[in-house]
Amino acid sequence: MTGSSASSRKILSKIACNRLQKELLEWQVNPPAGFKHKVTDNLQRWVIEVNGAPGTLYSNETFQLQVDFPEHYPMEAPQVIFVPPAPMHPHIYSNGHICLDILYDSWSPAMTVSSICISILSMLSSSTVKQRPEDNDRYVKNCRNGRSPKETRWWFHDDKV
Amino acid sequence: MCPTVALSATVEKLRQEGNTYFNKGKFGAAIDKYTEAITLCPKVSVLYTNRALCHLKRNEWARVEEDSRNAIQLDSNCVKGHYTMGLALLQKQEYPEGVKELERALDLGRGADPNGYMVEEIWQELAKAKYMEWEQASSERAWELQKLKHACESALIEKHDAFQMEGFLDEAGTTHMQQLQALERVFEKAAEADTASEVPDYLCCRITLDIFRDPVITPSGVTYERSVILNHLEKVGEFDPITREPVEPSQLIPNFAIKEAVQAYLQENGWAYRTW
Repeated sequence: MTGSSASSRKILSKIACNRLQKELLEWQVNPPAGFKHKVTDNLQRWVIEVNGAPGTLYSNETFQLQVDFPEHYPMEAPQVIFVPPAPMHPHIYSNGHICLDILYDSWSPAMTVSSICISILSMLSSSTVKQRPEDNDRYVKNCRNGRSPKETRWWFHDDKV
Repeated sequence: MCPTVALSATVEKLRQEGNTYFNKGKFGAAIDKYTEAITLCPKVSVLYTNRALCHLKRNEWARVEEDSRNAIQLDSNCVKGHYTMGLALLQKQEYPEGVKELERALDLGRGADPNGYMVEEIWQELAKAKYMEWEQASSERAWELQKLKHACESALIEKHDAFQMEGFLDEAGTTHMQQLQALERVFEKAAEADTASEVPDYLCCRITLDIFRDPVITPSGVTYERSVILNHLEKVGEFDPITREPVEPSQLIPNFAIKEAVQAYLQENGWAYRTW
């Protein structure tokens, strides 16, 4: 297993472990529509396949999300990024980082991987143009040292796309 | 210098030396220190609970029980005393009594610090004991049902065979099959109560996704597990995780209705104690 992120990850706390096992179980019984969890033995990193919703700009396209859980999940948000190639979207950078408030400042421990997925799909579905954020090149250059999007000081784009 | 002050200073020193040995895993040496302290001053419950923990590490359960009993006698609100007492009783397979002690320890521990490590540890032991109790009772029930089912089946078959001998045929054949199927359904239904399934969502915390242990309700009307919502208010922010309305720790109120519902549910569904 290769750890791609530069930040060293601590092993999950007992609460985090318990909660993730419950989430995974619930996901297996009742997965969010359009998503597929790729089976691994790693509870701390989930890889999820996303299918663009029919009738949207991304229909028939498939992307991969990578979700990394911190030691104190769910008191702390997971790190969620698209594995490049990331969808062309005004809030998604070409390195896969996603500008979405619930992943950072507006995180709440009552949210789950499943609810995050639904938010991301709805963000994709409401898009009207396929383009990168205006500051894409500058941002991606700044992240070259492997910085996590959770360390970014996000200045959230408006809710509308 | 007043002799009692000198005495208590000596006892305190011995206790600390005992604790140091305990933390190093030298339980025999720790026991000696605590024993010396107890000889000087036999009315301090913490000396007994500390010594009980040493005995526990050495699997000397009769001594664990004795020291726990002494500690509780000196201080009936002593969390550790009730905890080690409970463990000692469970070890002796005295389940109901052991469980009662652990429940007492849990209540007292929560009163002292709902977030403390003792609370989690006590809960784990309690859940394990309750689960084992259920496992034993349910396998007895399953065995009983199995025997009863066989008896009913053979009675039906016997009756059917007797009918056939007398020459009643077709119609009796179909009812016979129906009866056997109905019997199957009845026994399946009877086994359901002892089958592990899913705890209903309304008995689970929206953060832990686990069955409630110590539920509290916020001003928004949402119920959470106490230790976890307290942690959230401290670490994430003073808002309700679901409604995002402002909440302060002092506004959390125990939700006794849910707590009773959980107890009733666990009473009927012992498998739900499985949390490990």
